Amino acid sequence: MTQQEALEWIAKLFEEKPERVTVDTVRGDIPAWDSLGVLTLMADLDNNFGIQLSDDEVQGMRTVKDILEILRRNGQLAP
Amino acid sequence: MRFVLVDTIHRLEPGKSITASKRLAAGEELFRDHFPGFPVVPGVLLTEMMAQAAGKCLDADGTHPGRAMLGKIRSANFREWVRPDQDAVIHAEITQNRPAYATADCFVEVDGRKVCSADLFFVFVPHERFAPDYRDEVLDAYWKANPPTGTTGSG
Repeated sequence: MTQQEALEWIAKLFEEKPERVTVDTVRGDIPAWDSLGVLTLMADLDNNFGIQLSDDEVQGMRTVKDILEILRRNGQLAP
Repeated sequence: MRFVLVDTIHRLEPGKSITASKRLAAGEELFRDHFPGFPVVPGVLLTEMMAQAAGKCLDADGTHPGRAMLGKIRSANFREWVRPDQDAVIHAEITQNRPAYATADCFVEVDGRKVCSADLFFVFVPHERFAPDYRDEVLDAYWKANPPTGTTGSG
């Protein structure tokens, strides 16, 4: 997956317009990135990419860049 | 009417799958409005039937930090009308069962025909949030008729 495809996936996940989600977007900028949004993100990472997040990773996700980094670490994002 | 949208559990594999049923009687007041002269079970109630059935399946698992609660309707489709006094047979298969969340593929059949389906997302609400004496009477009835034999409990 390219970075652009990943950003579009994240936007869809959080029901945002694609142009509102960039590498620099932070959690506070995305209303749907609330507690339910975190669980939805965890479920979709698990379901779509086989990625199961640790508690530390869940706690550490504060920006879109953090999500991209998780995808990259798990081989789902082109370097 | 009470908001208990599962009458009977017919088959239960805790945390994995469940088959249950619900019949809404023609005398239910809601059918006066939904719709006059053309009573049909509302799609939201069909969705709730699927959510309650899947929730009982998860609660029966006994491994979560709370009770299963519908968090998101990821998709829902309604194909055919369900009329009063028809037996709705509810099927749910848990597709992801994690400590913090779960997902379920569900559908309802009437007379062997699939009338609706839904992909549901569940979160878990701590047991302390509920009344201390809160029991799931439908699940209890199932366990009474089918005592658990494994390590899973009655939730």
